[in-house]
Amino acid sequence: MALIDLISKDVVKVPLESKTKTEIVRELLKVLKDAGKLENLEKAYDAIMARERLGSTGLEDGIAVPHAKTDVVDTLTLAIGISPGGVDFEAIDGKPSQLFFLMLAPPGQSGPHIEALSEIARLTKSKAFCRTLIEARSADEVVEIFRED
Amino acid sequence: MKQGPVNKMLVYIDGSEESITAAEYSVVLSKKMGAELYAIYVINTRALDDLVKSRIFLQIEEEEYKRDLESDADRYLNHVKELATKKGVAINLIKKSGNVHAELKKSVQENDIDLLVLGELAHVRSRRDEFYNEAERAMRIVDCSVMIVKDEEKVWELYEALE
Repeated sequence: MALIDLISKDVVKVPLESKTKTEIVRELLKVLKDAGKLENLEKAYDAIMARERLGSTGLEDGIAVPHAKTDVVDTLTLAIGISPGGVDFEAIDGKPSQLFFLMLAPPGQSGPHIEALSEIARLTKSKAFCRTLIEARSADEVVEIFRED
Repeated sequence: MKQGPVNKMLVYIDGSEESITAAEYSVVLSKKMGAELYAIYVINTRALDDLVKSRIFLQIEEEEYKRDLESDADRYLNHVKELATKKGVAINLIKKSGNVHAELKKSVQENDIDLLVLGELAHVRSRRDEFYNEAERAMRIVDCSVMIVKDEEKVWELYEALE
């Protein structure tokens, strides 16, 4: 499954309003709930935060990829959020995180989960791509950026 | 001595419905043409390595997901074996780990395959799909002919009708 297959404007939020790590996770999960892709927000939150406790998924250069394997979803599910001002996500370089890719995967779909995460890893290596995303002003724009890349 | 245009065919299984359809069609072709049939599943450890390097995955996650992928590989290869056995076709199963398209190319060479069979490719919805889709990459680099199998219903009918 290609990453673009997981991205539609109803799973993208620009800009994110939250100012803390836990609020960001909740805000992105709410996006998925509102899009009809998630029912049990609390269980998903617990799964994401359990993974975060093992080590933050806040990477370098403003990228964060919170993720979890959980049975609260039936299929691979992604939410994208952009916080132009940045939020402390306990990133490894200590910098605020601006681009968030929250992914939930059901057990038994490890292959597609890994492929999608690795596509995110590959894309976010490009500073130009990340800069373009951070400058996006709407969900439509974000979807278009992924489609054009 | 070789007897026909296709003597050894290899079908690539990745767990998708399209790849299972390709397996069904391969069973039909193998039986009709008398070609030797191979099925391959490649555990994409390169993607796992990338995730650890980029620090998206912790070591503990890498191990857990690797176990998941191993069991996926066994499950799908066994399913394909059942499909072949049901129709009285012998099948050679290959399980590899590494870079998917590179392993496909290597297996084609090692087993002297003259036809690689792939499931229908996903629609290209962004430019990078063309560059990063493993089946597409394999299609471009293998040394043998490549067949893309389409029309799940028709293939199923052909498979079911096979005696």
